[in-house]
Amino acid sequence: MQAAVIKPACLSVLLLLASAGACADPVRQDDLNWLQIMAFAAHQTDYSGTFVYRYGDHVETSRITHIADHDGEHGRLESLDGPRREIIRHNDQMWCDLGNGKIKIEQRQGGREFPALLPEQLTLLNKNYLIKTAEEVRLAGFHAHGMVFQPKDNFRYMHKMWADSISGLLLKSEVLDERGGVIEQYSFTQLSIGGDIDRKWVVANQAAAGLHAADVQKVRQTHNDSRDVPHDGNTHPADSVPKTTADSVASGWRVDALPDGFKKIAEVRRQLRGKDAPVIQMVFSDGLAGISVFIEKSDSDEDDHEGLSSQGVIQVYSKLINGQLITVVGEVPPRTVMQVADSVRNGGSQ
Amino acid sequence: MKQDISALMDGELFDDEAEALLDKIKRNPDADGEWHIYHLVGDALRQPDHLHASISSAVRGRLQAEPTVLAPHSRVRQNARWFALSAAASVMALALVTWLSVQIGSEPAPQVAMQQQATALRPASFPVSSGMNDYLMAHQEFSPSTDVQGAASYIRTVAGQ
Repeated sequence: MQAAVIKPACLSVLLLLASAGACADPVRQDDLNWLQIMAFAAHQTDYSGTFVYRYGDHVETSRITHIADHDGEHGRLESLDGPRREIIRHNDQMWCDLGNGKIKIEQRQGGREFPALLPEQLTLLNKNYLIKTAEEVRLAGFHAHGMVFQPKDNFRYMHKMWADSISGLLLKSEVLDERGGVIEQYSFTQLSIGGDIDRKWVVANQAAAGLHAADVQKVRQTHNDSRDVPHDGNTHPADSVPKTTADSVASGWRVDALPDGFKKIAEVRRQLRGKDAPVIQMVFSDGLAGISVFIEKSDSDEDDHEGLSSQGVIQVYSKLINGQLITVVGEVPPRTVMQVADSVRNGGSQ
Repeated sequence: MKQDISALMDGELFDDEAEALLDKIKRNPDADGEWHIYHLVGDALRQPDHLHASISSAVRGRLQAEPTVLAPHSRVRQNARWFALSAAASVMALALVTWLSVQIGSEPAPQVAMQQQATALRPASFPVSSGMNDYLMAHQEFSPSTDVQGAASYIRTVAGQ
């Protein structure tokens, strides 16, 4: 229950962090404070709205609702166009319906629920991006404060963000390639912040998915107690609960040509759905964008397709090295994921 | 200033910044020159087969040399149209001549053009397949983009493929 932090405590720590950083770089401190406010707002604000997500020719509308209360964070993301897809989140529990009717539960890893950016993350951000204030605009009826993150090299994309100038909630974000073309955009068309937000779904949808509050509790406990899939009779959701224990490991794998400015933030061994053996996941961050490196034994009967695929800002590059399937995923340009994948080495024990 | 102009051409400036810069360019002949040179360079890099040389000063000269027609008030409109047509004809003729001469005479620097293509190169890629969903989801859990965007960053996983 890392997330059950009460708001005033968060806020005071936030202010403390902000003031601690104030001595370091007085010029950009305003912008860094803004980032903190945005990160805080993303996790601690009650809101509900409709946003448009587009990349390439793809445009789709989704509804998002988020509530933070004594019980932590509740979030729901629901597609309004095309096949029904939905994610419901409660702290580290997730219920996903990605169109095939199946419900799966993921367990989010690590103590990342704290709604403020850590100082080292801000340092990384500052090192890799030129942070500038952009023009103030009006978006979805809100007055928005704009920020630009201009990359200092071409291993990362440029990001533009606009946040509500009162709550700090992100209203619009754009990711641009080195030629200034927008490759992904996320923008609210309608939004209500605070006030009366219908929270029936918090319970209603879990029930619809066959997950009554009791089951949720049971699932959570089982997760804590053992690594086994819970089998408690009638609950079909239990069948789709993957063993999601992710243990921090030192796998012995390394990335020899990691682009400058990225830092390893996690290394875990975890079970992914439909995989026989656990997968190693290493995660690198440059403060704003992340790269995950997945390493697993290739089962030759399966067609592990190699090569590059992309969706908006996300690039995926897969490659076989000595019978190991390397899959690199990141919100970074193709050259970055390719360079990372090409330089994955096993430096000893696995 | 040069950086700003370059950023403007790359579409990296916000509307208000762009407007301010365009204003400055209009008032400052040096900057105006820079603007044209950058465009010429850009054209040369992108399409060396059809290099578009700067003909603005030549056109300005020809326009100044055009005779001013003095005529009674009632015929001004018609004259104006004729004036415009003849000016347009001059511009077209000049452009044609310039274009022809460039076609025949120029040999664009191949090295620079190659470099430009190399940086603009985007490897061919397929759309992310639904089999990748689990990887995307596992990545999203740790990705710093989730910190600022919150739950909305999961749209990348949920979005239809």
